[in-house]
Amino acid sequence: MASLLPLRFRMLHFFSTVSEASANDLLEGLKSEYGSERQFSKKNFIEHLLTMKENGIIDETKVELDNSGDLCIYYAINDEGRSLLKKYLPKSWKA
Amino acid sequence: MAEMNNASALEIKKQMDAKFSRQGVAQGLLSGITFAINGVIIGLALTMAPFTSGASVFVAPLVGAAMNDGMAAIWLLIYNIFKGNFREIGRSFKTFPGFMVCMAAVLGGPIANGAYLLAIQFAGPAYAIPISALCPVVGAILGRIFLKQKISPRVAFGMLICVAGAILIGYVPPEGNSPNFYLGIICAIIAAFGWGAEGVLSAFGMSMVDPNVAINIRQATSGIIFTLVVLPLVAGFRMYGELLATPSTLVVVAMAALAAAISFLSWYKANSSIGVARGMALNITYSLWGIVFSFFLGGVVLTKNLVIGAIAVFIGALLVVINPLEMFSKGE
Repeated sequence: MASLLPLRFRMLHFFSTVSEASANDLLEGLKSEYGSERQFSKKNFIEHLLTMKENGIIDETKVELDNSGDLCIYYAINDEGRSLLKKYLPKSWKA
Repeated sequence: MAEMNNASALEIKKQMDAKFSRQGVAQGLLSGITFAINGVIIGLALTMAPFTSGASVFVAPLVGAAMNDGMAAIWLLIYNIFKGNFREIGRSFKTFPGFMVCMAAVLGGPIANGAYLLAIQFAGPAYAIPISALCPVVGAILGRIFLKQKISPRVAFGMLICVAGAILIGYVPPEGNSPNFYLGIICAIIAAFGWGAEGVLSAFGMSMVDPNVAINIRQATSGIIFTLVVLPLVAGFRMYGELLATPSTLVVVAMAALAAAISFLSWYKANSSIGVARGMALNITYSLWGIVFSFFLGGVVLTKNLVIGAIAVFIGALLVVINPLEMFSKGE
């Protein structure tokens, strides 16, 4: 398997494999890769998502409260994000 | 029920977005305050041995800059190990966005910072400081072109007032032209472009790389290039060695580097989260904080220029930051 990507980069890549995802989905999907690291926290993931959205590489798709009453925002990758992946994703990661 | 759920979700999201913006602004301001502290402490260090040993005029500030950036990289490394980001550093370094951060580091560190120090020598601070203070304008324009970061008229206007204030604060009456005057002006322009381009290039890299990690790579790259490339060019190794052998001065530089580490960390975070234009405009408020600190340390007489410049920076920063209407209507 290809070596791990920087987390934020991997999150962007994850979005290219699903139609939409929330912080919870990302935590679940990336647990096997980053789960043992201290940066693997919901708080950190949410911060990454807010910044990526602010940088215009993912868009919000829907907002709801999850079962425990926490805010849950779903995002999807947009054209800008896809073009970044196309240009900069290491070859070993390209399908 | 579903609608009620949705309404409260939107309300919570609105609060979270506002908090995120506020945090970005606070980071931008923190970067300005700590950069001013860095300037004050480095200024103090440069009055101590071995910096005062009378080598050529460029050597001391360049040796100081090399040690400052190198030590800031070590502080940031400690921080990242503590945050659990250590492995991210290697991973980021290997990707193209990580390489962009390195390029940004070379532009902003050895090139812009070095050119700035040379500009002060060649053209004098009267020209060097105001010209290099234009870096946020360069950053905003490049950010607009390459990152498509929109700048509202209010932010653009606030930024220009900030820059005008910073120029007024840095202004000193010119004293006769030096032989290398135009070379100095070119160096100052290089500094403004280098810093502006650094902001944009690093912000681009950070859309894929964690800012905490990006700034660590930046300071390490800058420290290494300063030490291995710039110092040999100015025959600075001897002073560098003497500095390493002078613990009392080294401790002072280490404190300055801690302030620099906090400053650059929060600057990169702000650039990444609220955009380069706003991040850089808040960062140059350091000229205002510099006056405040110097005033309390008793080292500055408040002239009319300083007061007007400080007020301009304050009002400009306020304009850059505050627009409740925009903050609350975003994303709906």
